[in-house]
Amino acid sequence: MPDSDNDSGGPSNYAGGELSSPREQDRFLPIANVSRIMKKALPANAKISKDAKETVQECVSEFISFITGEASDKCQREKRKTINGDDLLWAMTTLGFEDYVDPLKHYLHKFREIEGERAAASTTGAGTSAASTTPPQQQHTANAAGGYAGYAAPGAGPGGMMMMMGQPMYGSPPPPPQQQQQQHHHMAMGGRGGFGHHPGGGGGGSSSSSGHGRQNRGA
Amino acid sequence: MEPSSQPQPAIGVVAGGSQVYPAYRPAATVPTAPAVIPAGSQPAPSFPANPDQLSAQHQLVYQQAQQFHQQLQQQQQRQLQQFWAERLVDIEQTTDFKNHSLPLARIKKIMKADEDVRMISAEAPVIFAKACEIFILELTLRSWMHTEENKRRTLQKNDIAAAITRTDMYDFLVDIVPRDDLKEEGVGLPRAGLPPLGVPADSYPYGYYVPQQQVPGAGIAYGGQQGHPGYLWQDPQEQQEEPPAEQQSD
Repeated sequence: MPDSDNDSGGPSNYAGGELSSPREQDRFLPIANVSRIMKKALPANAKISKDAKETVQECVSEFISFITGEASDKCQREKRKTINGDDLLWAMTTLGFEDYVDPLKHYLHKFREIEGERAAASTTGAGTSAASTTPPQQQHTANAAGGYAGYAAPGAGPGGMMMMMGQPMYGSPPPPPQQQQQQHHHMAMGGRGGFGHHPGGGGGGSSSSSGHGRQNRGA
Repeated sequence: MEPSSQPQPAIGVVAGGSQVYPAYRPAATVPTAPAVIPAGSQPAPSFPANPDQLSAQHQLVYQQAQQFHQQLQQQQQRQLQQFWAERLVDIEQTTDFKNHSLPLARIKKIMKADEDVRMISAEAPVIFAKACEIFILELTLRSWMHTEENKRRTLQKNDIAAAITRTDMYDFLVDIVPRDDLKEEGVGLPRAGLPPLGVPADSYPYGYYVPQQQVPGAGIAYGGQQGHPGYLWQDPQEQQEEPPAEQQSD
């Protein structure tokens, strides 16, 4: 609790006109913190517009809710009441953030080491969880590799399965036609917002392209 | 109208290109032409003089544009690889878990906003503090790539919209950026590089491009495409390009 109080007291110096109400403010992380982190990713002479900062604020809250929701569902299925660190890492893997898991595992490991004195019992439990997650870690690494391949071919990026498919497509020209067919099929089954356009585009041919154009005009 | 000499070299060029980079941007950009040409360019059936020379010039410009996009993609991929290497180093150097870059209490409140969420372990907000930092850094880096492509130094909302559109991992954020920002992306597109991509004669083997050759006004029609900029950056276009390439190679 003291840590939380200190953290929330210090950096929560928020001066946003539109989002000044207490409830609105609680929905987002402080814009000063967000802005500071954004600057770390940019060159020294880069500038950030205010609406860009606010947009990232919203994106981060959405990210937290997105991961938390998936982790919460998992806990409910397993009849557990408390969301722990491993649940969050699992959720990130499931939702396409495989690259995050390896760095965060290191981070969590360090945190548990330092907190070891406080809760020896939970450390033991955490140790068990860590051991049980060793095999998935290897899988995550493979997925991460697939993710990099996905950068070269964005179309092969979505979802763990798609990333795995991305590798063979990338490495072997002969099978590509079949891979692409499967790819389209999976994208059609995905049903996610971003995939709404894929089925239309997957058909190929000028007629399909025109159809896709029409969809965009409608949207 | 359909000389036999043209298809063969074009097949070789495009097939090679698709094998190296199945999703290279020129391939994604070109297919947008057919959707616009029928509406605005049909009345102008005239064809430029000396098609052979025009074809050669277009091939050269097309190859140069292709190389440029490959280099751009390689550079951005290296940036991302460096990004993740830095994240590991950053975490290895972490010794203090009490001063987080983001307030844990606020993170907990956001998690608790979901009614289904009951109890949260002490380590959960700590992990999220680091995860959100990585999330902000990566989203900002990807957005900045779009800022640079448009020769600007100020990161804007539409740059974030572009990053969200280009990256499947960010699909869950689509509703956060309004359509206007997606359309706005096109305004900053470097126009100098667009016209040549609109009339790549060497891509003739694809059914898409027959109308373009018949209608040299494609350059004008291509200008009209700027009205659909969001379309330009969507993965489906890249998907559309791949099947024909494979069919031709077979």
